[in-house]
Amino acid sequence: MEVTDAAVVAQVLAGDKNAFRVLVDRHSRSIFRVVYRMTGNQQDSEELVQETFLRAYKNLDRFELRANFSTWLYRIAVNRTLDFLNARKTHMQTKQTLQIADQPDPEATNQVQIAAEDPGPDRLLLSAEMKRKIAGAMGLLTPAERVAFTMRHMEGRSIEEISQTLNLKVSAAKNSVFRAVQKLRQQLEPYAGPGSRLASRGGVGAQS
Amino acid sequence: MNHLTEEQIVLHYYGDAENSSDVERHLAACPECHAEFARVKAMLEQIEPLEVPEPSAGFEEKTWLNLRDRLPEKRGLFSRLFGARQKWALGGLMALLLLAAFLAGRFSPRHETPITARSAPGNPQRVVLVAVGDHLERSQMLLVEIMNADSKGPIDLSAEQAEARDLLDSNHLYRLSAKQAGDPQVASLLEQLGSVLTEIANGPSEVSPGDLQQVRHTIQSESLLFKVRVVGSEVNSRARKPEQTPGAALNQRL
Repeated sequence: MEVTDAAVVAQVLAGDKNAFRVLVDRHSRSIFRVVYRMTGNQQDSEELVQETFLRAYKNLDRFELRANFSTWLYRIAVNRTLDFLNARKTHMQTKQTLQIADQPDPEATNQVQIAAEDPGPDRLLLSAEMKRKIAGAMGLLTPAERVAFTMRHMEGRSIEEISQTLNLKVSAAKNSVFRAVQKLRQQLEPYAGPGSRLASRGGVGAQS
Repeated sequence: MNHLTEEQIVLHYYGDAENSSDVERHLAACPECHAEFARVKAMLEQIEPLEVPEPSAGFEEKTWLNLRDRLPEKRGLFSRLFGARQKWALGGLMALLLLAAFLAGRFSPRHETPITARSAPGNPQRVVLVAVGDHLERSQMLLVEIMNADSKGPIDLSAEQAEARDLLDSNHLYRLSAKQAGDPQVASLLEQLGSVLTEIANGPSEVSPGDLQQVRHTIQSESLLFKVRVVGSEVNSRARKPEQTPGAALNQRL
């Protein structure tokens, strides 16, 4: 019978530091997948996996033994990644202010350069041309929008899970996902051809 | 006709819209909103879930090796909860210790278990049952002492620690026996019990009332005392059951 995660946690808390390796072996790959979808960078993801486990270890006494360890670890990973993306965004803003525009122009070459430096999870999407456009669009989401969209769209997490993980109200979690999609549409639908209400009227937010 | 908002359309795509049946009806009746929904859907379907590459070779090993030296040492549960305490002892504390020792001796299950159940020559299964029953009763007594200890002033748990250390060795053996005998209920309980006994055995000997309360909470959160009582009662019942056939005991789960 495999020892449960909770039993291993208890063992670590009792002073057996090496028992923590069992948890690393069990969960590091799944955490890597989660983090990679949000960063799109293998090296960053591997480092974030380590940071996630380190943070988990330091906060292990806050873990409720009846709770699901992988869910708890997932939340730590997502929040650690969000911190990382926020820090990276701040760094990029300092370094290249002009390239992070609030109202991005998809034709602007400087914004494409951001996507090239910070390609996010877009490298692996579809055709090279569409991939480039999606990369540019994803790179313009705020870290919170990017994380919420990735959780909802790519991982199929529920709005409730997103709100709990990011410590948001349900309405705020929905809004983050919506704003992400809205920004993606603004970037991608001009390439999708005429006919879109968004393209023709600049959005569908108002009722007619 | 009022059209759906962009937010309603996007959230409906994910199944997160409020009044989804109303949205559904509107989409069926409104070609413009239906077309808008189709555009949103087509756009979002282009953004496929990422294919995630395999991490580098030996990823788990590398992660652990990089992590290992950065992990601070964990003290046991008691140490973490209670921290270093002054090593002074009060007269009342000594009295409490004496009282605890008296109660432990007075109510020790080793003197209460019926001789008929304890001595079962020629029946190894029953001997194991009796031993596990004794073990659970001793463990129950230990947990009860902790749960009911006087919580005024610093509390000396050195006696409980010694008992926990004593129980730990046998707990490990009984857990293996239960597992081999195909008794997951007892094995699982002994596993949980072992974790708590380890923490008690490795903790400091002197605690404050507030800290003691947290230890009680740990025991309560796993309903450990209740489980020990229930399973212990069941095991004792099986141990005391008269043999009906020569092979009856062997057919029991443990």
